Amino acid sequence: MSDAKAIADRLTKVRRLNALLTPSKDLRKSLTAQAAAARPTGVLYGMPVAVKDNICTLEFTTSCGSRILEGYRSPYEATAVAKLKAAGALIAGKTNCDEFAMGSSTEHSAYGRVIHPLDKARVPGGSSGGSAALVGSGAIPAALGSETGGSVRQPASFCGVVGIKPTYGRVSRYGLVAFGSSLDQIGVFGRSVHDAARVLSVISGRDPRDSTCEDRDPLRLPTVPESLQGFVIGLPREYFPPELDPGVRRACERAVRFLKEQGAAIREVSLPHTAYAVPTYYVLAPAEASSNLARYDGVRYGPRFNGAADLRSLYRSTRGQGFGPEVRRRILVGTYVLSAGYYDAYYRRAQQMRALIAQDFRNVFDRGVDLLFTPTTPTPAFKAGEKLGDPIAMYLSDIFTVTANLAGLPAMTLPIGRVKGLPIGGQLIGQAFLEDEMIEAAYALERVVPATDEA
Amino acid sequence: MSVTRDEVLRIARLAELEVDEETLPELSEQMSRILDYVAQLSAVPANGTVKIFVPGPDAIRFRTDEVSPWPLAFGPAEFAPAFKEGFFVVPRLDQFE
Repeated sequence: MSDAKAIADRLTKVRRLNALLTPSKDLRKSLTAQAAAARPTGVLYGMPVAVKDNICTLEFTTSCGSRILEGYRSPYEATAVAKLKAAGALIAGKTNCDEFAMGSSTEHSAYGRVIHPLDKARVPGGSSGGSAALVGSGAIPAALGSETGGSVRQPASFCGVVGIKPTYGRVSRYGLVAFGSSLDQIGVFGRSVHDAARVLSVISGRDPRDSTCEDRDPLRLPTVPESLQGFVIGLPREYFPPELDPGVRRACERAVRFLKEQGAAIREVSLPHTAYAVPTYYVLAPAEASSNLARYDGVRYGPRFNGAADLRSLYRSTRGQGFGPEVRRRILVGTYVLSAGYYDAYYRRAQQMRALIAQDFRNVFDRGVDLLFTPTTPTPAFKAGEKLGDPIAMYLSDIFTVTANLAGLPAMTLPIGRVKGLPIGGQLIGQAFLEDEMIEAAYALERVVPATDEA
Repeated sequence: MSVTRDEVLRIARLAELEVDEETLPELSEQMSRILDYVAQLSAVPANGTVKIFVPGPDAIRFRTDEVSPWPLAFGPAEFAPAFKEGFFVVPRLDQFE
């Protein structure tokens, strides 16, 4: 078992990334106490797992990367965190993220941007950028993040680590701060497929405290397959557009050759409504966020931004000063698309489009395709500041990941090579609750793909 | 389409969100761009027969009807901005709107 001090030292060494929000002193103290209390029989005994700051923990504050929850201590902990602790894992602090998980670069945190572990001028992706950067830097083997539109897979891809978003309903969301409730799932980061998969297996399974969590046993960990004989893997042509970054394309083509060599049958398929996924997402997610974030009003928890003479101005000043620009923008867009006169034009239309996107996947899977393989992101990690002034450009970095959230499907990314030193991720999208098949294919690909070589 | 300054203010009131006068032009410009972008959804023929898709269990699962409090590690007095004698303290409501 790694000792608590060694874990804290490793995390302190990568402070420059601004990936961890927990002060070193608090971390060291808590890790020592947790290590003394950890169950030696647990399957994750002694494994340090960092947790995104929008997942409630008793050990540390939960600020969601926002001023409006600065210093907030939750009086309860997330089921996923409780399960990790019951398995002997050590909660290795809270990771920096885009405010309320809204962003794709971790530049929208009230506590400063997170630095990419391989290139300080670049972003680690987001919104779970802190978790991705810590695993990418080698400081910890695994971390929890959360996904609403790709917030685990996109940063995992940028930082060269494995990221899994399970099926909607696979992992309890009790204690995950709500953003878009029809989309949110807790996801995991690992330095290898096995590290990510075993953490996922521990946190998955039924929870009476979350009615959207399916009544199923925890995920059974698959074994590493001999080959991919019998697997049919689809390549959706909409995910390989002409404007795709040439390095990303090269890495994907090489990964597909490896999948073939492992015995998988490769088939080109079509998901015709893919182009509408990002606009659909940017109606539904802000609409749900505008409702979920109504609870931050300076009355029951979090700081109160004062100068307020009456209750209404207390709400308005607390929310106006407590939320950052991206969150404010999304609350306004969400309120707009739900308001009288616009609901049918935006919200209802987006709901219909979501159904068509989900149907696209069912059509492909019904025709004997087991899994899909795609690039995780259209480009490698971009430079800090590059997309800050252009919300649409930022949103489009999630173009290949939002579809799985809209359809509620499991999806994961694993590193498949580098281009000019920057990691490229390959994405596998699976069928609902068949994470085990997806993980098997990832094991097979991971075994042969030279993940840190130039593609 | 473009979102006017007054529309931003109306929406901000609905959202109980204070917006600064100086951020208004940028905010209306960005909201307009985002709404223009998502408006491409209207290019798709509205199909009344599409069944709305929501992931997750098909039906709400019922729990046994018994009181089982999940105790909090500590009470609201420790996390509320102002709390007195079992109540959250707020300034008075100026007027009903």
